[in-house]
Amino acid sequence: MSISRRTFLNTIGGGFGGLAAAHMLARETVAWGGETNIQDLNGGLHHPAKVKRVIQLFMTGGASPMDTFDYKPELEKLHGQKLGPTEKPEGFTAAPGAILKSPFKFKQHGESGRWVSSVFPHQAEVVDEMAFLMAMASKTNVHGPATYMMNSGFLLPGFPCMGAWISYGLGSLTDELPTFVVLPDTKGLPYNQKGPFSSGFLPAVHQATIVNAESDDPVPHLFANSEFSFATRAADRDAFDLLKRINARHAENSGEDSLLDARIKSYELAARLQLSAPHVFDLSKESKATNDSYGLDNKVTRDFGRRCLLARRLIENGTRFVQVWSGPQGATENWDNHGSISKELPPIAASVDQPIAALIRDLKARGLFEDTLLIWTTEFGRTPFAQGGDGRDHNGGSFVTWMAGAGVKAGTSYGRSDDWGYKTAEGTTYCYDFHATVLHLMGIDHKRLVYRQNGIDRRLTDVHGKVVTEILA
Amino acid sequence: MKTKQPAVLTFLIILTVLSNVLAQDPTPGSDNELRFFAEKIEPLLTSHCFPCHSHDANEMEGGLTLDSRSGWANGGESGPAVVPGEPEKSLLIRAIRHADENLQMPPDEKLPDEVIDLFVDWIRRGAADSRKSKTPINDDNPLDWWSLQPLSRPNLPVLADRKKLYGAVANEIDAFILKQIQAKGLAVLPKADRRTLIRRLYADLHGLPPTPAEVTSFLSDPDPLAYEKLVDRLLASPRYGERWARHWLDTVHFADSHGCEHDIFRPNAWRYRDYVIQSLNRDTRWPRFIREQLAADWFYPEDSKLTPALGFIAAGPLELSRAGTAPVTFDYLDRDDIVTQTMAAFASTTANCARCHDHKFDPISQEDYYSLQAVFAGAGKGDLEYDADPKIAKKRKKFTELLSLATGSDKMKLPTAEYENLISDWEKKIRNNPTVWEPLLPRSFVSSDGATLKRLDDDSLIASETRPERDTYTISATSSLSRVQALRLDVLPDDSLPMKGPGRCDNGNLHLSEIKVFVLDDDSSKRIEIGIKQATADWNQQGWTIAHSLDGNPATAWGIYPKVGEAHYAVFELTEPVDMKPSSQLVFQLDQHHGGGHLIGRLKLYAADSDPRVATVLPNAVYQAIKKNPIERTDQQSTAIAAYVLQRHAEEQLAKLPKPVAVYAWSKLYSHAKKLALPMEPKVVHILSRGDIDKPGKVAVPGALAVLDHAPGRFDLDDQADEASRRAALADWLAAKDNPLTWRSIVNRVWSYHFGRGLCDTPNDFGRMGGTPSHPELLDWLAVWFRDDAQGSLKQLHRLILLSETWQRCARVPNSNPAIRESQSTDAQNRLLWRQNLRPLDAESFRDSILQVSGRIDLKMGGSGIQQFTQSKGRQDTPELDYDGFDWNHPSAARRSIYRVVWRGISDPFMESLGFPDLGLLSPKRDFSVSALQALTLFNDDFVLHHCQVLAQKLQAEHANLEQQLTEACRLIMLREPDAKEMAWLVDYSNKHGLAAVCRILLNSNEFIFID
Repeated sequence: MSISRRTFLNTIGGGFGGLAAAHMLARETVAWGGETNIQDLNGGLHHPAKVKRVIQLFMTGGASPMDTFDYKPELEKLHGQKLGPTEKPEGFTAAPGAILKSPFKFKQHGESGRWVSSVFPHQAEVVDEMAFLMAMASKTNVHGPATYMMNSGFLLPGFPCMGAWISYGLGSLTDELPTFVVLPDTKGLPYNQKGPFSSGFLPAVHQATIVNAESDDPVPHLFANSEFSFATRAADRDAFDLLKRINARHAENSGEDSLLDARIKSYELAARLQLSAPHVFDLSKESKATNDSYGLDNKVTRDFGRRCLLARRLIENGTRFVQVWSGPQGATENWDNHGSISKELPPIAASVDQPIAALIRDLKARGLFEDTLLIWTTEFGRTPFAQGGDGRDHNGGSFVTWMAGAGVKAGTSYGRSDDWGYKTAEGTTYCYDFHATVLHLMGIDHKRLVYRQNGIDRRLTDVHGKVVTEILA
Repeated sequence: MKTKQPAVLTFLIILTVLSNVLAQDPTPGSDNELRFFAEKIEPLLTSHCFPCHSHDANEMEGGLTLDSRSGWANGGESGPAVVPGEPEKSLLIRAIRHADENLQMPPDEKLPDEVIDLFVDWIRRGAADSRKSKTPINDDNPLDWWSLQPLSRPNLPVLADRKKLYGAVANEIDAFILKQIQAKGLAVLPKADRRTLIRRLYADLHGLPPTPAEVTSFLSDPDPLAYEKLVDRLLASPRYGERWARHWLDTVHFADSHGCEHDIFRPNAWRYRDYVIQSLNRDTRWPRFIREQLAADWFYPEDSKLTPALGFIAAGPLELSRAGTAPVTFDYLDRDDIVTQTMAAFASTTANCARCHDHKFDPISQEDYYSLQAVFAGAGKGDLEYDADPKIAKKRKKFTELLSLATGSDKMKLPTAEYENLISDWEKKIRNNPTVWEPLLPRSFVSSDGATLKRLDDDSLIASETRPERDTYTISATSSLSRVQALRLDVLPDDSLPMKGPGRCDNGNLHLSEIKVFVLDDDSSKRIEIGIKQATADWNQQGWTIAHSLDGNPATAWGIYPKVGEAHYAVFELTEPVDMKPSSQLVFQLDQHHGGGHLIGRLKLYAADSDPRVATVLPNAVYQAIKKNPIERTDQQSTAIAAYVLQRHAEEQLAKLPKPVAVYAWSKLYSHAKKLALPMEPKVVHILSRGDIDKPGKVAVPGALAVLDHAPGRFDLDDQADEASRRAALADWLAAKDNPLTWRSIVNRVWSYHFGRGLCDTPNDFGRMGGTPSHPELLDWLAVWFRDDAQGSLKQLHRLILLSETWQRCARVPNSNPAIRESQSTDAQNRLLWRQNLRPLDAESFRDSILQVSGRIDLKMGGSGIQQFTQSKGRQDTPELDYDGFDWNHPSAARRSIYRVVWRGISDPFMESLGFPDLGLLSPKRDFSVSALQALTLFNDDFVLHHCQVLAQKLQAEHANLEQQLTEACRLIMLREPDAKEMAWLVDYSNKHGLAAVCRILLNSNEFIFID
């Protein structure tokens, strides 16, 4: 890595005002012996990294644990009894009804003997690849704050999400693709709109690139709108060249500055992005068998499947963090099954199940699990009590997250919810522990990844967080 | 600081000092004992206790920390945890022995006996502990920090040999700056040339480039004061307020929507934005600016046009989803946002860090924090109605009060003397001209739902046979009157009706949902609706009054239950007299939508041509009173008449006033609680242990930071229930002359926007976690000068800074000068300001500059926000916005960026790429970070490309040949002409790709995007 590139990275991450990107700061303080040390950390910031790239699958609305991965036989015994709180607890949308058993059959799967309900037949086949956090808790039962919390560690808007923090901490793996990409459900944005992918107070360079998987131009601004006939590809090529000359002359005439230099180089990178990005988004490069395995041939799975496949292509080509959302905001076509678990959960579960299983197999087959982490999560769980007929209300008391891939002890689990799945019983983890664990796998000490904002050293994990070593290999 | 303190206060201070001395840590212990502690006890504390009782874990169960000696010595809610030498009296031992059922630590599992014995042994030996308090606050002198020190004016520095200076001392600022540069022996950059200065000045003050003509005129101005004149001219321009308002709006995280889950538009928020622009342009003095924004209603009640200032309090986000499902949490967090914003914006203080525990680094207690919350416990964020015209506001106030007296319980307070004539005139009229009601002759009458309507001999109508659930009667009737001013509907009993009527419902009731009356002339097929001003009835069923028949709401109606079996009547007063031709017909539409057969059984219609105020149905008490001779009336009866007349008068006057406007501000009508009983008492705010709503402690009283001694930290209010007085007290506390934070805060903020970085580079935090000033004496000098000499005038402060040599220095020079290389390597960050900083255009300036150079900018000021996106219905309350869908040909595209609608949670990607902040949080400074995606955005965004075309067309229209066009393009964009080499490049590129493509390159150039 040449000095000029190093200077460039420093400026590009730091922006105006003399701020330096975390990875550069850390290199100076932790690895001041030289850049060779960085290699020793395998791309990590504070310690050797096991993970270089992440795909996070986020189930919007609050995926029900006791109807998917958290088997609760006790609910069958107590079904129909009014045992819950009698008044509406703070954060519930209504007073809870009677105990509601899961309408789905549970069976044990794989060598790990993990219980999985009948809504996830495909994931059940690859369950030995996963490590489960069975007792995650949220500080809130409300979608908006809970979605912020699982993404940024705070209940309030304005804080950077995990993808932005990782971009800030580790920078990019390639110059040819954006570092942090979000693929929202094509039906709409999640709760808080673009809030869950905000880079908050981090420099805008860490902002997510939001990709519309349905669009012909998935990466916004990659090329000019065709209505501008003067902005042809040929004009672009010549423009990058002329701009470079003009900018160089400007610097020559009245003095150089690293910021000016960074902007000159940013147009060189832009030109490269124009060449590489369209290739990555072209799914016709994949075989029919691959396309079919992700369910692109089926109306039910096509949208989520295509986005999972895009996620794989992105990380394969050097994007560091990809987030794939299942479900838009609102109370329908997502995981917010207030009305009826038996009617509302199966279709949304079916839309993700085959693509997720395919993604796991694909990542593994391509050797990407060597340095890729796959995460499945949601903003909170649901009540063991009925709402309306057989729906379930929001419940931050306990929910499930799983991880698979590099650095993860496959086939394990950590934590346990109580017999109803209402609250955690042991091994409680919050978003802080979950985020700390992901950062840890990437070679980052979550307590040392800080950014001072309005006088506070902000962290993704606020003042909390414990790495869940129990599920790490 | 010299201030006189009353004796009592002095006594209290002595007491406080004494108690501080008493609370000091006892002696830590001998070396031997300390080693025992370090080897045996400290590891036990760390592993068993710290998870719940330490600063590092941010956990202080029961308010107890065990990570310092003072932690256990002071103890938590239950008192000291350890009594040295007395293990049996130490709570810690009781707890770890699990001796007390309510105090068992660690709670899950008892420690092994040998561990407990170690603790007992340690305490018996005197509990040696060398660990210092975790909080870096000096308990003896909590004000021992630069920003909390009393303000005083430092002496001007005496500079050494002037010849050694590179720069001149234009004013005091330069003296302070050069002093430090001289101390380091550094060289400074020279003053920039006029072309650089005019561009920099325009960018700084207006966020726009100067026109080529303005540049030429400035460059050729022989006046040595040309620059000074330019500064004054630019400060006087309204463009200044438009530019600087955004700085303040960022600081207070103002946007036009709620943000969060339900990111709903605030259609009236813009009035606060306009208020800020206007305040800056008229140079509102800073203390007044503080008072207006926190409590304009209290300080300036007569000046209603200041009402939008209260938009300050509601600038931040609103978590509407939580307001519904988790209301208590919501209340505390919403107030947290307001407290955070107020203290950061005005006092650069992070009071919010004391929400869960006393501030870890600054002398701010949890009680202080909740006292600040109590200041804002009286209302919430919502639309606030007001009259911009103070004369209208005054009238509305007067008649609202009159109405409230006339309808309230204390009618004796009515100003009857003032209205004596009005009352006696009315009485004369009603006595001398009694209303003559002429029965109308029904010509046609139809039931919409199958009932049979028949006309009886007395010209009344009766319904019979089918009784539908709901019905609408349409009745056309004629009259011999040539003018009608009032109408009357009688509902009459009849033996054929259930309970004798007058309704058709089984209980004799009826419900008239809506009444509409039209006039229909023979010679016209068009019927015209007649306006009805008011309706009165002789009897109203409770909750079903006659006013409901006019409210346009089909769910409400007039009823007469339980007074069934008797006649009732209602009078409808017309807005305007209606002229009747002989052929005219009155068409009545009587909607009866309630259902259950609540229908009129028998009715009769009348008209009258007399003053509606006389024709009206009088309330019984008034009717009884008016029948009596004035001298025979009781006081009560006279009052009843007066109250009635004044009520009618007030209502009429109020109806005549123009509708009030609204601003999204501090309002009793919250966004999330539309139906509130008014007046409302401020909510009770508790000090929450660890910020937990389930652990409310004592009730907080309104106040601010107790540690500062310029004013009492808890407010002494005459009436705690008067919530405005709470805000006013905080405003006074902030705006006080001796508040050490306020003045430093604002001068530093202004400085930061002129140099790209503040003297203290954390403009919202002057605490121990914030930065320390690079030039503390200059900061203090500026603060005092701004407060005393400039009397809080921002424009004077700008002027002082802009006229300094420091501000006018070059930002860059060619690297050939060795002395400058030395400055560069010694102070690369330019903290000492040996040069000006190179600064990028921010998002608004970039956009507005393109509008200006393309000749398209529309400088219309103010008004509701410009939506530069298309909007469609979303899946929930939040709409979907499409920024790509906006048509840049639309006239509103040319307005300045400050007038854009800023949707908090759905940002404009173009603006965002240039550092427009996420306004979920306060944003005291902008970032500008370079990336390939930013380059692509500036290169390919529709806005930029569209205006490349606009500019190219303008150039082609104004100049005949290509070289002239290119020269003009450079003059507009770079404020200079291209040299021969550049011209050759541009000509070549233009020949290949066209003039618009050249504009695209120039607008993407560093020379355009950066301000030297």
